[in-house]
Amino acid sequence: MAIAFNVENLNFYYEDKQALKNITMQIKKSEITAFIGPSGCGKSTFIRTLNRMNDLIQGTRVEGKIEYEGQDIYDKKSDVIELRTRVGMVFQKPNPFPMSIYDNIAYGPRAHGIKDKNTLDSIVEDSLQKAALWNEVKDDLKKSALALSGGQQQRLCIARTLALKPEVILMDEPTSALDPVGTIKIEELILELKKEYTIVIVTHNMQQAARISDKTAFFYMGEIIEFDETSKIFTNPAKEQTEDYITGKFG
Amino acid sequence: MQKMNQKSNIQSKKIISYVLKALLLLTTLISASAIILIVYQLAVRGLRPLFGVYTVDGFTDVKLNIRYFFTGMEYIGYLKDFNLDGVLEGAYGIGYLIINTIFNVGLSLLLATPIGILTAVFIVKMAPNKLGQVLQVVVEMLAAVPSVVIGMFGQGFIAGIIKNVTSVTGNFSLLNTVIVLTIMILPTITMMSTTALRAIPRSIEEGSLALGATETQTMFKVVLPAAKSGIFAGVILAVGRALGEASAVSLVAGGSGSGPNFNIFGRTNTLSSRILMGFKEVSEGSLDFEVRFTMGLVLIAVILFFNIVLNAIKKRVANYEL
Amino acid sequence: MQLKSGWLTMNSKQKTKDIIIRTTTYVTSFISVFVLASILIFVLVEGLPLLNFDIIMGDHHHTYLPGVKIPYTATDSYYEYTPKAGEYYSPRYGVAFKDEQTLEGEPIIELTYVAQNSPFSRAIGIGNHAGEIYALEVGQVFMSGILLWSDDYFTEGGSINPDATTIPYQVSEGAKRFAEALEETFYIATIAPVILGGGIRGSIITTLYLIVLTLVIALPVGILSALYIHELAPQNWFTDFLRSLIDMLTGVPSIIYGLMGAAFFIPLAQSMFSNRIDSGSIISGAMTLSVIVLPVIIRSTESALDVVPKDYKLASLALGANETQTIFKVMLPNALPGILSASLLAIGRIMGESAALIFAIGTVITDDVSIFRQGTSLAVHIWASMASENPNFALAATISIILLVVVLSINLLIKLITYKFMKRFR
Repeated sequence: MAIAFNVENLNFYYEDKQALKNITMQIKKSEITAFIGPSGCGKSTFIRTLNRMNDLIQGTRVEGKIEYEGQDIYDKKSDVIELRTRVGMVFQKPNPFPMSIYDNIAYGPRAHGIKDKNTLDSIVEDSLQKAALWNEVKDDLKKSALALSGGQQQRLCIARTLALKPEVILMDEPTSALDPVGTIKIEELILELKKEYTIVIVTHNMQQAARISDKTAFFYMGEIIEFDETSKIFTNPAKEQTEDYITGKFG
Repeated sequence: MQKMNQKSNIQSKKIISYVLKALLLLTTLISASAIILIVYQLAVRGLRPLFGVYTVDGFTDVKLNIRYFFTGMEYIGYLKDFNLDGVLEGAYGIGYLIINTIFNVGLSLLLATPIGILTAVFIVKMAPNKLGQVLQVVVEMLAAVPSVVIGMFGQGFIAGIIKNVTSVTGNFSLLNTVIVLTIMILPTITMMSTTALRAIPRSIEEGSLALGATETQTMFKVVLPAAKSGIFAGVILAVGRALGEASAVSLVAGGSGSGPNFNIFGRTNTLSSRILMGFKEVSEGSLDFEVRFTMGLVLIAVILFFNIVLNAIKKRVANYEL
Repeated sequence: MQLKSGWLTMNSKQKTKDIIIRTTTYVTSFISVFVLASILIFVLVEGLPLLNFDIIMGDHHHTYLPGVKIPYTATDSYYEYTPKAGEYYSPRYGVAFKDEQTLEGEPIIELTYVAQNSPFSRAIGIGNHAGEIYALEVGQVFMSGILLWSDDYFTEGGSINPDATTIPYQVSEGAKRFAEALEETFYIATIAPVILGGGIRGSIITTLYLIVLTLVIALPVGILSALYIHELAPQNWFTDFLRSLIDMLTGVPSIIYGLMGAAFFIPLAQSMFSNRIDSGSIISGAMTLSVIVLPVIIRSTESALDVVPKDYKLASLALGANETQTIFKVMLPNALPGILSASLLAIGRIMGESAALIFAIGTVITDDVSIFRQGTSLAVHIWASMASENPNFALAATISIILLVVVLSINLLIKLITYKFMKRFR
């Protein structure tokens, strides 16, 4: 199977504090890869290096290589705008813009130069369908996005990302701010999306990782302790630390 | 014995406490009644010219020509026989002043709002940290400059530049007035806009950037629109100040006696400035004195009108509120 | 990174747009800097040369000294002196003059040197002050009223010549001409020395009186009101109503305050001190100003009270103190830095206020300041000067320097206090 991300010897620093140590791994396409680990272990930091969102923080430093589809994304010639349209991100707390549902979805395409109303209309409908939100909002797309429930807002954010037709969707704890019903809906959606997209998901919830992911990486103190098939991680982990975490001995 | 002392001690503490509480309430009532006092005074003095009679220069039973007051285009300031029937009435036309005031304030808003918003964007987002802080201090200092000083600056400095660059002779012009008003309201708009922009959560910005938008697109297409109502509140505040500005305007407007004045190279006059002018020569209780209170009432009406209209617009603009 | 097959184009058009927008924002932001710098430079350039001790301490009005005559001075009278640049010297009288101007731009001459024992140091009073001896002093100026008799004043026989000639001289002819004329003058029959005015001592004192009086009225009322609203008042519609009445005060333009001051406080002050006030007064001005600064003080005090941790209050009540004691002995002292800021803010506001005072006191500049009479604050003095027929930019700029220095320092002080205050409760 083809490789989406190839990470080699990645070291990441916030000022002088090292947050990621010697990360080496490969993320395959059309798979769901989960990152688990206790708070502060670096999983969120790592997922944000994949679309260079860490660039926004002052004083960060990257050593090592991250390749997306064969190209070093931290190379000076790489276009970060381009990267972010192909690698989308959904955040922990839903962050819809204070605009209408329609304008939220249309924002991405508009920012990239698409103006034709018909094109935008079809993109909006298409994305909302894929995010399993269309039926709930199709009667009033002009309504404010902020009037939606938490779960609906998160699906809106997913639709917003889908509007740019990305290849990868990064999800940073997408359900931790939602109630159980909303969580289930998102998990179902993720399983649907797997057919067309590569998904990387950070989660606090081990059961969630066990439920939906193909591969799981266990992070601890900035390092990857173990990275393998999900079934193996959860039934027969190779490292003792992994087992301790899975069984709840810490974290 | 001790018990009795304790009891009277507690009693006196109670009395003191009661008295103090009453004092606090009393002072608060005094503070709250200040605005009522202002409105009452203004109404009592200001309504009299509309209903009463005066003696001017020996002519008794002189009334103010009310229709001319509100619609007249010349502030004659004296008596005139309007209906040519031998009856002299007070001729104080302020209609043109109302138009002038709105025109001047409108122009200065047009100038100050974009400059203020862009400056706020710069301070909050674009400037390197230290520069942003310095610029904010500069804006705050500009806000602290007393209005007379700005008026003096207008008459002493801006007038000179205008004389060299345009066809204006003399130190007074509408252009000067608009510039002075702009300088006065610019800091208000800037500071309220920076507050509004800072209140927008970072998560909104991140959401936009994660979609591949540039920083500039994020600022102008997401953050600024999200801060609309805060920015608008700053504009409303600025409008109120500009409408009521008197001392600075009176130094640069030129005291035009008739109008309305739309020529930016010519003289102009506003309601507030007109109230201020010539105050030295009037005598207490005369028509000239009391008509200024009527003008004060008109000014308050204009300010209230703008507040209501702008607030209504603000409600409609902010229907996608955070 | 390869561009996707033509579906999305983050093209160079957007990048160019970005650069244009960024540049425009950069440039526009510096307009504020430019304006502030221009104001400061203008004020300094125009006002600094004039800023000296005399202006600050001097009277506004000219002091017209009694007219004098100068004793007979023979042709052979001679005083040695090397005049400096710009001075014009008369060796016969031992005095030097230079050309000057009043603040209104009228030409006058100023006495810059008086030799020891010069006739000018032995001037004789005329009229009501006949016979008194005066010494004319350096710094005094002459505006008019000079009568010079030439050397044919006395006849050969020693009696006054009925055909004696005068030397025509007007002050507008200048200092040089005067020095020359003096060389031919035997007897100066009248000369009227003047101590130049243009000083702002009166306005400075007025401003100080206003500040003190206003704070005396407004601080107690404001602080007590804030304490009530913040601590004691029940959370009901009436309290909200009171609050909004006080908030409305901030939206009132100062000229309306001025009208109210003229309509209400001037008569009020007159009736309160009926035998001493007969027009606008500093008292009526202070009363008007207290209404203006009242919302400022209330709001600042409330902010300061907000920051005091609730635990202090709870601890005090738990120890058995009643509400009033808690308010005055715990909340109030902890809010002191905020009250200090409030006072500073109020002072800044008072110093900058002009329109309201023009109505509530008047625009009469005075040297002999009394709270029962009219006077001008520094800001009103600027306005009065600029609004007259002869606007005096130099004087207005000088006063502005003083105003700006004080007001801007107050601003920085307030920032400092707020910063330190916040630190305390971290």
